[in-house]
Amino acid sequence: MLGPVLETLIGGLMTGVLYALVALGFVLIFKASGVFNFAQGAMVLFAALSFARLSEFMPLVLAFALSVLIMIALAYAIEFLVLRRLVNQEGIILFMATLGIAYFLEGFGQSIWGSDIYKIGLGLPTNPIFILESVFPGGLLIDPVELIAASICAVMVLVLAVFFQVTRIGRALRAVADDHQAAQSVGIPLNRIWIIVWAASGLVALVAGMMWGAKLGVQFSLSLIALKALPVLILGGLTSIPGAIVGGLIIGAGEKLAEVLLAPILIRTFDLAGGGIENWFAYVLALIFLLVRPQGLFGERIIERV
Amino acid sequence: MATEAADTFPKLLIRNAGLYAGRPAYRHKDLGIWQAWTWAQVLEEVRAFSLGLQELGLERGDKTAIIGSNRPRLYWAMCAAQALGAVPVPIYSDSVAEEMAYILDHAEVTIAVVEDQEQVDKLLSIRDRLPRLSLIVYDEPRGLRDYDHTRLKWIADVQKLGRDRLAADATALQRWEGAVAAGSGPDLAIMLYTSGTTGRPKGVMLTFDNLIISAINGNRFDSLGPDEQVVAYLPLAWVGDHVFSYAQPFTAGFCVNCPESPETVGEDRREIGTTYGFAPPRIYENLITLTMVRMEDAGRLKRNLFHYFIAVARRWGEKILNREKVPLHARLLYWLGERLVYGPLKNRLGVSRIRLAYTAGEAIGPEIFRFWRALGVNLKQLYGQTEASVYITAQPDGEIYADTVGKPNIDVDIKIADNGEVLFKSPGVFAGYYKDPQKTAETKTSDGWVHTGDAGFIDAKTGHLKIIDRAKDVGRLNDGSLLAPKYIENKLKFYPNIREAVVYGDKRDFVCAMLNIDLTAVGNWAERNNIVYGSYQELAGHPRVYDMLAQHVEEVNRSLAEEKAMAGAQIRRFLILHKELDADDGEVTRTQKVRRGFVAERYAPLITALYSGAREADISTEVTFEDGRKGMLSARAKIRDVAAAPVPAMEKAA
Amino acid sequence: MRAPSGPDVVAGEVLLAVENVSLAFGGVKAVSGVSFDIRKGEIRAIIGPNGAGKTSLLNIINGFYHPQRGRITFKGKARSAMRPYEAALGGIARTFQNVALFKGMTAIDNIMAGRTLKMRRGFFWQLIRIGPALAEEVEQRRRVEEIIDFLKIQHVRKIQVGKLPYGLQKRVELGRALAMEPDLLLLDEPMAGMNLEEKEDMCRFILDVNAHYGTTIALIEHDMGVVMDLSDRVLVLDHGIKIADGKPAEVQADRAVIDAYLGLTH
Repeated sequence: MLGPVLETLIGGLMTGVLYALVALGFVLIFKASGVFNFAQGAMVLFAALSFARLSEFMPLVLAFALSVLIMIALAYAIEFLVLRRLVNQEGIILFMATLGIAYFLEGFGQSIWGSDIYKIGLGLPTNPIFILESVFPGGLLIDPVELIAASICAVMVLVLAVFFQVTRIGRALRAVADDHQAAQSVGIPLNRIWIIVWAASGLVALVAGMMWGAKLGVQFSLSLIALKALPVLILGGLTSIPGAIVGGLIIGAGEKLAEVLLAPILIRTFDLAGGGIENWFAYVLALIFLLVRPQGLFGERIIERV
Repeated sequence: MATEAADTFPKLLIRNAGLYAGRPAYRHKDLGIWQAWTWAQVLEEVRAFSLGLQELGLERGDKTAIIGSNRPRLYWAMCAAQALGAVPVPIYSDSVAEEMAYILDHAEVTIAVVEDQEQVDKLLSIRDRLPRLSLIVYDEPRGLRDYDHTRLKWIADVQKLGRDRLAADATALQRWEGAVAAGSGPDLAIMLYTSGTTGRPKGVMLTFDNLIISAINGNRFDSLGPDEQVVAYLPLAWVGDHVFSYAQPFTAGFCVNCPESPETVGEDRREIGTTYGFAPPRIYENLITLTMVRMEDAGRLKRNLFHYFIAVARRWGEKILNREKVPLHARLLYWLGERLVYGPLKNRLGVSRIRLAYTAGEAIGPEIFRFWRALGVNLKQLYGQTEASVYITAQPDGEIYADTVGKPNIDVDIKIADNGEVLFKSPGVFAGYYKDPQKTAETKTSDGWVHTGDAGFIDAKTGHLKIIDRAKDVGRLNDGSLLAPKYIENKLKFYPNIREAVVYGDKRDFVCAMLNIDLTAVGNWAERNNIVYGSYQELAGHPRVYDMLAQHVEEVNRSLAEEKAMAGAQIRRFLILHKELDADDGEVTRTQKVRRGFVAERYAPLITALYSGAREADISTEVTFEDGRKGMLSARAKIRDVAAAPVPAMEKAA
Repeated sequence: MRAPSGPDVVAGEVLLAVENVSLAFGGVKAVSGVSFDIRKGEIRAIIGPNGAGKTSLLNIINGFYHPQRGRITFKGKARSAMRPYEAALGGIARTFQNVALFKGMTAIDNIMAGRTLKMRRGFFWQLIRIGPALAEEVEQRRRVEEIIDFLKIQHVRKIQVGKLPYGLQKRVELGRALAMEPDLLLLDEPMAGMNLEEKEDMCRFILDVNAHYGTTIALIEHDMGVVMDLSDRVLVLDHGIKIADGKPAEVQADRAVIDAYLGLTH
């Protein structure tokens, strides 16, 4: 029994890293601008589409570099066309703006790159790896694609966390998130900070898109994985980078384990049709969490004296 | 210089600069960083300062005022003056200019060393009235740059004068050391003005012998050595600070840490890890209240953990601290508690490394006292006075009681006069009040005993001194039994249900009490017990409330009966007042001290009834409402009789 | 109270000149045709009833608002509009009417944020924190500590500013502005909502900043006593129009000013 459970756990954790990466995109932008960026999912799709189509007629490295440039250009465009005009507006207004960006990106991306399912061939080894064969009969099966994806994500998360926690940009970023006007008044260039975070979260979207794309193929449904990031955010807190990571791992592992352990019990006890638990478990978990600890695992508890 | 010759502070400084040369003597947190000076460096600083002051005209016998908060340079100013044979006179820095003017004039101060602009401004405002005051020296230059500097100098500039002199004149050092050597133990070391409750402040003169012998005895009593760390935060003009942050560090060689600002003392204490300290009861109380409030805001797990282990500590902590026998499981639990709760809490409170903490000044609540000891903090009580160079009695380690002030310190003798007043005799006994031989003679008898003004008795069980009241407030019943009203009132007030108590009995046949209930505590109790009440008055008159308070009074009687000296003054009758004693009505002072005489007049019919044997009495009093209107409040107060507890047979008089 | 500077300051070099500036939101005129100057080293008060356009004027000076008409000359360079970032770079710092602090950060981080523009080393150096980068960090921290000492806020250094009482928040905000070592300091109601003691402290800080660092200060204040004590010259606005400009005593005696204020109390 332990073997398969462990196998599920490892698989779940690796999916969790991917969730974390998507959630991280949200956190970056939320921290820097207080905007809940609904377009994060669309950015994942757009980035993956760009990479997939570019890689069809150029080397992977070049395709990646070009995609990075595209995402940076996108950040510039969003800042120049949308955010700059909405300085000091309410959070809800900015949220609506990202909603617009989301639908535009989905449509626009498909208009220029096409709307079929595209494959991303990263040339990764596909033969499953078995580990701990001496401990468990038959060992534990690990998908090398998932393993590599998880490693890349882990490195990415680490670099971003260090970048934003340790450097002066981190302080500027928190300042901008707290109060736009005050940040400007001490000479923090708001526009530049926004371009930086949107570019960073574009980069994160690109990596996430590549990894998911390699797993599932690049298709429209990719933009929906943003929805999976929501429970992660609720768990981890909207402002916490470690929260996004831990939240992603918990959700990833939790839903896989629920599928394997909880589902059979539910089916037996309540005589249910079974299946599909993976689809709603994360949300129920998030809902419970929301009731107990609304600020999330690592979110800042806002205490203010009036 | 030989140790036995170090009978003044400047001599001790020279000794320490050799003995503890590289060890820190002073630290001061400035611009967020702890700056440190070794004993050798302090000697250099003090010497430069002292020579500078000499250049500016300070002479043997002159008085130097020291005004400000606890900063190294102000302590050095004391030593710099003493080196020349001048006498430092620290003054409370929060005094208004008027109060300062009196002391500066009375002490004939010629040079004042002050902290900052605030103090300089105060002195400048009264300067016209102080012809002797020729120079003001300040430590903190901010805001003073544009002031007229003819009779105003920055400490650094004064020190520069001294250093220049040392550089220019080869014999300067030798002559300065000669000046230091000319001082000796019986010389006047310092004058501390005490603000008596009535009349003008008196200048208590203490000699080097007073302070140095007392400090050395104190060090021995508590085994204090050069490794202690103290945070100096109490007023410089208070004898406690002078002994704990000046005399003891100089004699024992330990380090004095000066906080960044009065508001950061807690944080600074935590960073330093004080090993030895003093605080009035209020501070111990506030720290606990703060902790409790913070815990209420904490998560549930943390809160439950806290309360569970605090209960463990209350049950076993003191026993462990007192090295009593404790079952193994309790030790294990306490060990776990130390890791999870007490350790982090003590760290937060800045007492992780504390070896010894004193409290004195007024009675500390037994609950508060035990709480600290339960956490493993060796909190002890002390009884002292300016006139004694602090030490009269203190609790030796392992002999700790919430309600005593301990045994006589080394070389201290105490005796109790017939009227209950405590008298003492010690090496610390002051030389006299400055320019007031009459007051000196009233306080100090010709054979050297000093009247403390406090009444007390030696507890038969422990051999410790217990302070019961101010001597002038202590009375006698008609049968001659000693009556200490405040002592009994404090015992009553330790019950949360009793907010205020007034006790009578002087020149009467027995003791009576008038009580105020605590509306919060009793109100809560009433709610839990389904007792309905419409007003304070109704609750105060409720029979079950009377029952409850009668129990408290009986318990107080039992505890009085256990003390031979107090057993005769048990409460026989009491009543609960229909209104709270109120400062607006003049019944208590603004600092919540009961004005016993005034209350007796105002409630005369009740007192008459208490002593006439009546079951109840009518009273109507004028009250002032919050908006300032006045009105009459009438009530009928019931009176309860209480049995006296039997006095246990005393085997032997102690 | 205000001895050292005096008339020579008022006659000094012009640091900032505002010429005929107008700003309207929709149809509402916030500022119309206002001209005035601020001279190097002076404390300049801007007063007027609520809605007189005082805050709008500050917002124009530090680039939050761009006036539709008029010209602003700062340190001899004329411009019609600039970004707040550029204003900060040019040496203009400010505080806000309702305290705009970074509430989630500690007092020290808030003040440190004021030194953003003073940091020289790139982020790579900060990342590794050795050599020159470390020295810079230490130097910045020292400057910040001096400000903390100056404003006597040592005890709240490491506390999240959102948890501080209002008076202390105002002080931290002033500290953040001071950390920029500005040539021109704009204070929007620095004493609003303070008790008497806090006001006295704040007055002293403002005077000390002016005296020690020679910082030019423009402040909006309602407490006339404070304005009279602190300022070298007073600009009076009403409904976006300048109605008086001069020394405190002159302004106080001005008919139009009295009318504007009496009109308010009716």
